[in-house]
Amino acid sequence: MANDPYAALGVAKTASEAEIKKAYRRIAKADHPDLNDDPAAHERFKAASAAYDLLKDPDQRARFDRGEIDAQGQERPQRRYYRDFSEGPGNPYRPEANYGDFSDVFADLFGEGGARRTRAGGFGGFGGTGGGARSFDVRGQDHRYTLEVDFLTAARGGTTRITLPDGHSLDVQIPAGTRDGQTIRLRGKGGPGMGEGGPGDALLAITVADDPDWRRDGDDITTVLPITLDEAVLGAKVEAQTLDGPVKLTVPRGASSGQKLRLRGRGLTGPGGVRGDQHVELRIVLPPRIDDELAAFLERWRENHAYDPRGTRRGGKP
Amino acid sequence: MMTRNELLAALPGLTDAALDALTRAGIVRPVQSEAGPRFRPIDVARLTLAMELEDAYDLDADALALVLSLIDQVHGLRGEMRAMLSAVAAEPPETRARMREIITMTRLTLRG
Repeated sequence: MANDPYAALGVAKTASEAEIKKAYRRIAKADHPDLNDDPAAHERFKAASAAYDLLKDPDQRARFDRGEIDAQGQERPQRRYYRDFSEGPGNPYRPEANYGDFSDVFADLFGEGGARRTRAGGFGGFGGTGGGARSFDVRGQDHRYTLEVDFLTAARGGTTRITLPDGHSLDVQIPAGTRDGQTIRLRGKGGPGMGEGGPGDALLAITVADDPDWRRDGDDITTVLPITLDEAVLGAKVEAQTLDGPVKLTVPRGASSGQKLRLRGRGLTGPGGVRGDQHVELRIVLPPRIDDELAAFLERWRENHAYDPRGTRRGGKP
Repeated sequence: MMTRNELLAALPGLTDAALDALTRAGIVRPVQSEAGPRFRPIDVARLTLAMELEDAYDLDADALALVLSLIDQVHGLRGEMRAMLSAVAAEPPETRARMREIITMTRLTLRG
């Protein structure tokens, strides 16, 4: 590990100066790049030298041990304290603030985000519901988790497994068309209730990971379809990926890079159950090597068919 | 976001077992992803604070959870209070005078 000079030398944190020197010499003898051809040995030597440079100086070593400098001898970046995060909105650990009669005023001023936060585990849930006349029956706390799912699982729907703090795993159904920021409620999977009170719920805040291959805009998605030069010129039927699996797509004769083909109803499932569209952006990819035949042909072709795609305003065809 | 190993490397004082215990107690709730737990900057800062509190006050998991929960509440309220005050600061003096009256009244009632 590059960040632990002790590990780089294979010594304990309590090692004496002599032990550190001995460990360095052992590695320097075995792994010196001038003596050993193995690239891994080179890496070991580099790490050990850097580590030894740091640790052989008692002052430096003490500063490193105190956490003032990192393994490269650099001053550690300014520490970010917890309050830098916890004072802002959206602290996932913060229990719900309950302003009683003024909850509406609070929501009005601070927006939905302020009011929507449900009891966030911890100790915020003492005013739980379900008390009624028998005030010893208290519903268990809701536990909040953040769950990151990949784009395709969120779009197509699927199952993902989460591990609860107690070590139990839980299979969670992700409905098709799940959005970033959406919350999934698992009834009864929160903290245990007291008395007759039922258990709380587990609330999963979903973040959808970005996927370079699937760009999202509302309910529509855009994918890029690489095509060959001949397919672009002559037109072709090629396979494209959709959320529902591969489809055959007709690339029109004379297609340009950037041109988009629309697949109606292949986008994400919207709130009303209606699906958006998928836009397939064509991208012409030239062969890995331009052979003489292609070059010779185009030189000849250029003499009589030159055109200026920059001359038209939108860079389209002449 | 960091993986578990990156987190342990970034926080030399945090052992495997201690991280497990803090996770079990719900003191840190990392983001769950297909590739295992992921730690946000807020989780790193929270773990650092938790370790310091544990060290300084010999807190067990329950006490630590309580203290952190109170800290979350205070920090959250302070953030909201500051937002509120900056809104008030942007108001004309007459508004402030009216607010002062209401605040005084409210606080007198609370004291009773």
